[in-house]
Amino acid sequence: MEEKGFKLSILCCNYTNLSEREDFFEVPVSLEIKRYPCSGKIEITDMLRALREGAKGVMVAGCMPGTCHNGRGSERAEKRVLGARKILEEIGLEPERISMFFVNRLDGEDFINKVKAFYREILNFELKGRERK
Amino acid sequence: MIIAERRPIPEILRNIENYQKILVLGCRGCVAICSAGGDREVSIVAEAIRLARTLQGKPIEVLEDTFIRQCDPEYLEPLKDYQGKVEAVVSLACGVGVNLIADLYPEIRVYPGVDTSFYGANLSLGEWVEKCRGCGDCIIDRTAGLCPIARCAKNLLNGPCGGSQGGRCEVRKDMPCIWHEIVERLKARGELEKLLEIWEPKDWRPAGGDGLRVRVREDLRLNGGKKPWR
Repeated sequence: MEEKGFKLSILCCNYTNLSEREDFFEVPVSLEIKRYPCSGKIEITDMLRALREGAKGVMVAGCMPGTCHNGRGSERAEKRVLGARKILEEIGLEPERISMFFVNRLDGEDFINKVKAFYREILNFELKGRERK
Repeated sequence: MIIAERRPIPEILRNIENYQKILVLGCRGCVAICSAGGDREVSIVAEAIRLARTLQGKPIEVLEDTFIRQCDPEYLEPLKDYQGKVEAVVSLACGVGVNLIADLYPEIRVYPGVDTSFYGANLSLGEWVEKCRGCGDCIIDRTAGLCPIARCAKNLLNGPCGGSQGGRCEVRKDMPCIWHEIVERLKARGELEKLLEIWEPKDWRPAGGDGLRVRVREDLRLNGGKKPWR
């Protein structure tokens, strides 16, 4: 059963993975999957906007370094995640709410496992936040 | 170019805490080239402000625009369209742009979104280094093109100092001693005797010691011009 109001946003490269919402039935949250021509096209603004629009965490997924269809797109994405994290730190949010994941191209299981791990990490933040309240 | 750096978001937020509608205004000049205040940075700062204010429970409307330059009155003309439509402007231009907006549009509340740092060169992607301090009295014709005012930590006119060791600066060990480089270069050119000349004391008035720096070229002024400081 989905946790009410708990949304995760996955911003990923079109080539990285073809998994769809139904492949993530073991992750009990609302998942928003946005695909880009390359993870190098994912801007810091896209990551921050996803949080503003209600996501509790943003997972940026790109191809393993060296396997990017466009050369170094996923390395670029990783750098942008650092930029977004700096902003989160400045405004008092856990920087890890935006995270970069390199996934094996077209390896659905690898992708799903990384989404599950990210979900657990964000869930921990949420539970700690509830305890503080 | 003028190098600038984004101010921390909390500082920007503090300046605009009482407003509900603002404009984040970028500049496609130097600050765009040094990735501090161009279109992309406007979009990032605007979204960071929206996110922070949403989290604070005080959503804000943030408009975004980028002008070709903010250091020329004619390029600031489109700012008139925002008058009365936004409560404040966060400018990502260097201090020149912010000052010119404040001069020309006194009724607009303008706040800096970047700290203006120095005049520098872009050595590689994501790296900028100071090369000039704009002191207004160049001596680099005598120093093989290398400026000791900007690049010596002590601004020495007759270095290297005793702390220069192995070609490194004693103040910043990761920095080369620019006087060491000047001497080495002049030596290689057979021009070391240039340093034996006794220089006139450096004129620091053009560096700002004589008040606001103004440059007027009568051959370019039309219709008598106007007071350059206004």
